[in-house]
Amino acid sequence: MGLNVPEYPGPGRKRAFLLLTAVAAAVIGILVFGTARDYVQGGGYVPDEAKCLVCHSNPDLAKNTPQGKISLYVNEVVASTSAHRFIDCTTCHTTKPHEVATPLTKLSLAQKCGSCHQYQYKLHLESIHGQQLAQGNPDVATCVDCHSRKGDSHGVIRVLEHDAPTYKKNIAETCARCHDNDELMKDYGIVEKVYESYMRSFHGKALQLSGYELGSLNKATCTNCHGVHDIKSAGDPQAPVAGADNLVKTCEQCHPGAGVEFAKGFLGHREASRDNVPQAHYTEIIFRTLMISVVAFGIFLMLIAIVRFSINRWRE
Amino acid sequence: MERISTEATTASLAKPVEEKIKRFDIHQIIQHAWMMVSFILLVVTGFPLKFSEWAFSQWWVGVWGGIDAVRSVHHVSAYAIVIVCIYHLLYLGYNSLILRRPIGVKMIPSIDDFSKLLQEVSYFMGISKERPEYDRFSWKEKFDYWAIFWGMPVMGGSGFILMYPVFASKVLPGWMIPAAMIAHSDEAMLALSWIFLVHIFFNHFSPGIFPINTSIFTGKVATERYAREHPLEYRSLTGEPETEEGTEESKEQA
Repeated sequence: MGLNVPEYPGPGRKRAFLLLTAVAAAVIGILVFGTARDYVQGGGYVPDEAKCLVCHSNPDLAKNTPQGKISLYVNEVVASTSAHRFIDCTTCHTTKPHEVATPLTKLSLAQKCGSCHQYQYKLHLESIHGQQLAQGNPDVATCVDCHSRKGDSHGVIRVLEHDAPTYKKNIAETCARCHDNDELMKDYGIVEKVYESYMRSFHGKALQLSGYELGSLNKATCTNCHGVHDIKSAGDPQAPVAGADNLVKTCEQCHPGAGVEFAKGFLGHREASRDNVPQAHYTEIIFRTLMISVVAFGIFLMLIAIVRFSINRWRE
Repeated sequence: MERISTEATTASLAKPVEEKIKRFDIHQIIQHAWMMVSFILLVVTGFPLKFSEWAFSQWWVGVWGGIDAVRSVHHVSAYAIVIVCIYHLLYLGYNSLILRRPIGVKMIPSIDDFSKLLQEVSYFMGISKERPEYDRFSWKEKFDYWAIFWGMPVMGGSGFILMYPVFASKVLPGWMIPAAMIAHSDEAMLALSWIFLVHIFFNHFSPGIFPINTSIFTGKVATERYAREHPLEYRSLTGEPETEEGTEESKEQA
């Protein structure tokens, strides 16, 4: 009554609304398309001041050496999505890469990474992997073997990316690339099926059933007991898993108050057998026998009952 | 008089009135339901750990809201099933020692149960013509009952070792932890295969019972079925042969 209620939406407002929507859609579209194009094409993020990728983005680029053909291809997508995408090629590959025969090899790589990552490099040098590299053994893991994605050393990725080989959820699988290889492990006297036995254990099962959220990944994986950059051979007396005393201290990191008896319950990445925790081995035999015989009896009883009931029904 | 007869007519029109015998008291109904619920919860939250490599297990754990939720449900159900066992022991003690009901005595296995087992197996295989006649509890019911008496200490004992491994290793030798894991896993497989195959088949899916046997949930069994499944007890309850057929059969046997 007496109130002048304007018609809503009025023709003017309607036009303004449509215009705004169109502008917003255009802005969002350009942003999404532009970003997506950068990711898809892999361009835009590699500074590449020396224009290396002009030649090295060619998948066929290779050079012939007495040892055979060496690919000189750099995957632009991998390089531009790596943690080092803002670092120019020449930071690692020397300022005059064409004047050096082999600028970075498996043996020299860690030193180069160590020029920035000094603390990790220092630990790595003391580790079993680092010591073997120093002796010229190319079998063992160096930085990029664990830290880069898709087996491409240019694809170094941050530890907290969910698909990083060093993300908590993926660590066991990353170690298994070498440590689940019987051929390779035979040469180092590692006969235990470390990966399989880990996945059978409570730790492995819990981690396998966890999601990717960091909160649910508070379970022990390889590196929690064996160390990370300073990883030691299990036979090294300095190793966190060597001897009862060290092992107990390692268990106590997560199980406060764990004693020697607690650590004795660990099967040492082996199956229980007559020589390894025999009590657990005999428990297994007893319960396996009991389970199989009782279940077999039950199934037998069911089957003959089904046959009898069917015959009775048929005769009716 | 008129009123009563009307009621009877209405009842018979709606559903034929089935004469029933009370078989279980309220405590037994509660104990079975309580144990059933906690057992099922333990199974569904325990098996993903045993078959952790299955994609189904990983999906299933996600349905419950993650491994920590699954673990909590498993632990709470474990306490629940231990409590129902204690409840049963108290119930058993009170009934046997104070009320002097022969309820526990009837469960004690005897040589007779073994010969009835053999007779039932030979009946199923077509060697014997007659199915054995049971008293209050058949040998299968006794087997189910005593299986829990064996299974609960094994599952409870090994389960609590795994639930509190640090405490367990203070009072028990260390090898008990891996042994408990093996025992828990195998005994669980035994229990769930027996329950989901044999128990469900003979108690729910047998002819004359299918699809569900409600006696343990309502406490009541139809008189006709009672006479068929527990003839010895039925005769001692009524003091006479249950049917004409039954009389002939018992005469033949004699």
